[in-house]
Amino acid sequence: MSIRSQGTTLFTAILILVATTVVVQLWLLTVSMEALLAHETKTLIPAAVGSTVLLFINAGLLRYVFRFDHEVQRGPQE
Amino acid sequence: MEPEQNSSAPTECENCNRAPKWRTDFPIDWEGDHYVSRREMVKFLTLGSVLLAAANWVTALAGKFLRTGRFPEKLVGSVAALDSQRSILFRYPTDRDPCIAVRTPEGTLVAYSQVCTHLSCAVVYSTSDNKLLCPCHNGSFSVIEGAPIGGPPTRRLPRIAIEKRGDQLFATGVEV
Repeated sequence: MSIRSQGTTLFTAILILVATTVVVQLWLLTVSMEALLAHETKTLIPAAVGSTVLLFINAGLLRYVFRFDHEVQRGPQE
Repeated sequence: MEPEQNSSAPTECENCNRAPKWRTDFPIDWEGDHYVSRREMVKFLTLGSVLLAAANWVTALAGKFLRTGRFPEKLVGSVAALDSQRSILFRYPTDRDPCIAVRTPEGTLVAYSQVCTHLSCAVVYSTSDNKLLCPCHNGSFSVIEGAPIGGPPTRRLPRIAIEKRGDQLFATGVEV
């Protein structure tokens, strides 16, 4: 199994993780908008903090993807 | 004696090494295509993640700063009128916001937005039940806290801050 085909499998798994967190972020935004319109301001900051945590998780996964891609571009080293 | 071979004609080996025409039109194989498309999709979704987090913070800041404006003071009515009628209607903070002030049997003075939190019908005070009733869908609210106690409403009524100055009642703010 070549390193590139390993990367395809790995990227598929990461893609599923990132897509899931983005859906959760979308849900958080929907809840925040609804709370704002209902004048329930207590939940807004925790929702924003939670969304930021998910963003950092996504950024970490993307950084891993970039590093892996860099290894693939350099090719196998002896 | 073997026939002499023409050196200018392409040999069989050269034909074998030459890539087919379709290969020049589609130079990327499926594996490479899947690799790049998944990598680009991860980048695209992370960009979406950045935008969603930013939108969440904009919402949070909007909730923090848009509600800090001072409410005006507005005359509600006289204490004597409230004591005789048990409840009086007024509009606050604007003329498009109906409100109701109630003198409870215990003597407490409370005021709420008159807009039902279910489907925006106007709530009225029931002296017999001592609660605020919404006639549209039989919703009811506690007169002490404004919390929903029956029917479809799930959120409390916004409370209006009332100050008593002499014989006059003034609305000074909205507590959501």
